[in-house]
Amino acid sequence: MTTAATDSTSLSPTARHLWIRSRGLLLAILLLVVGGVVLAALQSGEHHGRLDPRSPDRPGSQALARLLAAHGVTTQVVTTSEEAAAAAGPDTTLLVTNPDMLTPRQLSGLRTATAHTPGRTVLVAPGPATLAALPLGVRAEPPVDISALSAACSLPEARRAGSALLGGLRYATSSSTADGCYLSGGLPTLLRIPPTDAGRDTVLLGAPDPLYNYRLTEQGNASLALQLLGAHKHVVWYLPSVSDPSSTQDNQRGFLDLIPSGWTWGLLQLAFAAVFAAFWRARRLGPLVPERLPVTVPAAETTEGHARLYEQANARDRASAVLRSATRTRLAPLIGVPPAHAHTPDILLPAVHTHLTAAPDAGLHALLFGPAPADDKALVQLADQLDELETSIVSQERHTPREHPDR
Amino acid sequence: MALTGRTALIAALGALFVGFVLPGWLGILAVQLILLIAILCDLALAAPVRKLHFTRTGDTTVRLTGQAHTHLTITNADRRTLRAQIRDAWPPSSFHPGSDIPASRHTVRIPGAERRRLTTVLHPTRRGDHHAVRVTVRSYGPLGLAARQGSHQVPWTLRVLPPFTSRKHLPAKLARLRELDGRTSILTRGEGTEFDSLRDYTPGDDTRSIDWRATARQQTLAVRTWRPERDRRILLVLETGRTSAGRVGDIPRLDASMDAALLLGALAARAGDRVDLLAYDRRVRASVQGRSARDLLPALTDALAPLESELVEADARGLAATIHRSTPRRSLIVLFTGLDTAPVEEALLPVLPGLTQRNELIVAAVTDPRIEEMAAGRHTPQAVYAAAAAEQTRAARRRTADRLRRHGITVIDSTPARLAPDLADAYLTLKSAGRL
Repeated sequence: MTTAATDSTSLSPTARHLWIRSRGLLLAILLLVVGGVVLAALQSGEHHGRLDPRSPDRPGSQALARLLAAHGVTTQVVTTSEEAAAAAGPDTTLLVTNPDMLTPRQLSGLRTATAHTPGRTVLVAPGPATLAALPLGVRAEPPVDISALSAACSLPEARRAGSALLGGLRYATSSSTADGCYLSGGLPTLLRIPPTDAGRDTVLLGAPDPLYNYRLTEQGNASLALQLLGAHKHVVWYLPSVSDPSSTQDNQRGFLDLIPSGWTWGLLQLAFAAVFAAFWRARRLGPLVPERLPVTVPAAETTEGHARLYEQANARDRASAVLRSATRTRLAPLIGVPPAHAHTPDILLPAVHTHLTAAPDAGLHALLFGPAPADDKALVQLADQLDELETSIVSQERHTPREHPDR
Repeated sequence: MALTGRTALIAALGALFVGFVLPGWLGILAVQLILLIAILCDLALAAPVRKLHFTRTGDTTVRLTGQAHTHLTITNADRRTLRAQIRDAWPPSSFHPGSDIPASRHTVRIPGAERRRLTTVLHPTRRGDHHAVRVTVRSYGPLGLAARQGSHQVPWTLRVLPPFTSRKHLPAKLARLRELDGRTSILTRGEGTEFDSLRDYTPGDDTRSIDWRATARQQTLAVRTWRPERDRRILLVLETGRTSAGRVGDIPRLDASMDAALLLGALAARAGDRVDLLAYDRRVRASVQGRSARDLLPALTDALAPLESELVEADARGLAATIHRSTPRRSLIVLFTGLDTAPVEEALLPVLPGLTQRNELIVAAVTDPRIEEMAAGRHTPQAVYAAAAAEQTRAARRRTADRLRRHGITVIDSTPARLAPDLADAYLTLKSAGRL
C-alpha cells in the first residue's frame, strides 16, 4: 500500500536544465541583436544629415555652407519653428529644407513671423499640401527626373548660373510677375515669387540636388545655390525635426497634461502594480491535467435519424406500412393466428372480427391493409385507430381468459 | 517562483507614496527597490520545494460512485518552515464534476524537520484506472509576498471498479438456486438430473422419486434426491467493438453487459460452476481463467474495470477461434453483443455453427428504452414518424433475434436494468433443464 518516496520525484528543472533549455533561445536573441546592429550600421550612411550644413556626407550641405562662409555669409542652423521665426529677422535668407514636415500651424506661424521683414524664403521641394497652406497661388505638378536644364528665364541668378541639375516637382502659377526657370515639359522647376510689400521674395526649388555636397560641382549648381542663398548676409538654415514640440498640432491638452504632475508618477507606479498583479494571476498551480475521454454515441441515434428522414421526405406510405405491420404482428398471437399468416388479410381479418365485441367494422380492412394516408393528419389518426383496435382486443382477452392456460 | 496578491496590493499602495511624497523616477525606483528586496528575502526564507519528501498511502480500489481516500505524507527536511498551498492533481473525472479545484487543493504549515499527512478525497465518476498526475507545491515566504513553486511525481493508481448495481438481485437468484438444489426447507423434489443422494422417505415426498431397489435393500422407504449438475463451464464473452460503445441513457452498452456478467458470474460461482471471462474486439482485451469460486468475483471486477469500447468493427472470426481455444470441453457461452442486423448477419451468423455444435450459447443484447419511448409516441406527425422508425428498428431486431434462435441459441434482449436478472433467469432455466 505504500510507495517509498525517492529523491528524484521532483519535476522542477534545475538551474543546469534551465540553462541547457534556454541557451538556444538566448543564442538566437543574441544573433538577432547583433545582426540588427550590423545592418543598421551598414545602412545608416546614406540619409544621415541630409541637407545639413554641418554634414560632410554625400547628401549633406557642408560644402555649400563653407562657400557661403567664404563669401561672408553667416549660417545659423535651427531645428524648431519658434527658433526659425525668431532668427528670420530683416535681411536674412530663410532656407526650409523639408517644408512638407511642417504642420499647417507651423507654416502659418513662420509665414506671419516673416511677412513684415524683408529678405528671402527658399523652400526646397514643397509638396501640394504645403503649397495649399501658403497663400502663394502656386500649384505643384507631377515630378520629373533630375537632369541638366538650362535657365531659360530672365531671373539674374539663373541667367548667371547657366544650366543646372534640377527636376523634381514643377510649379504652375497664375501670377505674371513670377519668374519661372529651368523649364521641364513647359513648367518651371524653380519659381521665384517677387517681393511682397515688405520686400521678401520666395523661391521654390523643385529638387534639393543643387544644394548637395556631391552635386555642387556639376553644371552651374554651385553658382545657382550661392546666388540663391547668398542674396543676404545671413542664412537661417531651418532643418525641421519631429522632436519639435510645436509639431504636435493641437490646442487641446491630453489627459496626462490635466492631472497634477505628481500623479503622473503615481499612475506609473499603479502600472507597475498592474504588472505585479498580472504575474500573480498568471501563475498556475501546476499544469492542466489532460484526460482521454470516451466517445459519446447515443444508441438510438440511427433510429432518430431515420425518423427525421421519414419526416423530411413525408414518407407516409412507409410510415403507415410499418405501423400497420407492427400492429398486425402484435395482434396475431393474441387472436390465435400463427405469425407466418399475420400479414394475410384472408386469415387475419376474420380472426379479428370474432374477437371484437362491437359490431364488425367495415373499415377494418382499410385500417389494417388500406392505402397510405393522404396527409400527416390522417397518419396521426391512423396511428390512434390502430392503438384503439389493439387496446380493445387486449381488454377483450383479459375479460375472457383462454380455456387452456399453459400450466 | 510565484508572486501573491499582497505584492500587487503593496505596489498599488506605493502609488500613494510616489504621488504624495516622492514624485519622479526616484520615488518609483525606491518603491520598486524596496519591494524587490522584500520579495528576494521572502524567496530566500521560503522552504525549498525540491527537498520535500512525499509518501502516498490509501485506497487502491473503489467502486464507481464510492469515495476513496488517498493520503499524502509530506516530510519537510529543511530547517525553514513550509507554508504552502499544495495541489494533488488527478484527472478531472476523479472528482465530483466542478469540485476538482477545492477537492485537490490543500493548505499546510509544516515546521522544519516535521511531517504532515494530507488526505485527498476522490469521487471517481468514470470506471478504470486513475493515475495521480503530480503534486505541485507553492511554498510561501514568511511575508507572504512571493513563493517558490515546484512539482513532484508521486505515483499512485486508483482502480475504479464497475458499480455492480445488479448485486441487489443476487439474494433472490440464490434463493431460486437453492430451490433447484433441493436444499430448501420446503419439500420439493430437487430439480435437475444429477443423482445426489438417498435419504429416508418423509410424508409429502414425491412418490415418483422413491428408489425401490434401495428400499428393498434397507427395509425402509428410500427416496433419491437430485440436484443440478455441478462443475459445468461457463464462458462470459464481452464483445468490446463499436456496437458496445452506444450509450443507453448515459451508460455505454458495455457497462450494462458488465453488470449482467458480474451477476451471472457471482451466481454461477455459488452454483458450483467454473466461470471464465473473455473480452474481445480484434484482439483479447481482458481474460480471466481458472479462478476458484472464492476469488472469482474480485478477479472479474478487476479485469473489467479498465475495459473500454474500441471504435473498431469486432472480428467475429477471430472471436470464434479464441472461444474455441479457451473451451476445450462443452461450455455455456454467454456472448454479450449487439443485435444490429448487419454485424450479426454478415459476421456472426457464419461462425455460429462452429460454436453451437458443441456448446450451449446465449446471446445477451442491451435494448434501448428510448426506442420503446419513441414507438409509443402519438398525436403529432413528428411523434408518429418517430414511432414508425422505432417500429422498424424493433422489427429488425426481432428478425435478427429469430434468426439466431433458429440456430438453437437463447437470445436475451433487455433494457439495461432488466438484462442482469433476465440473464440470471435464463441461466437458471438452462441449469434446471440440464442443458449445461
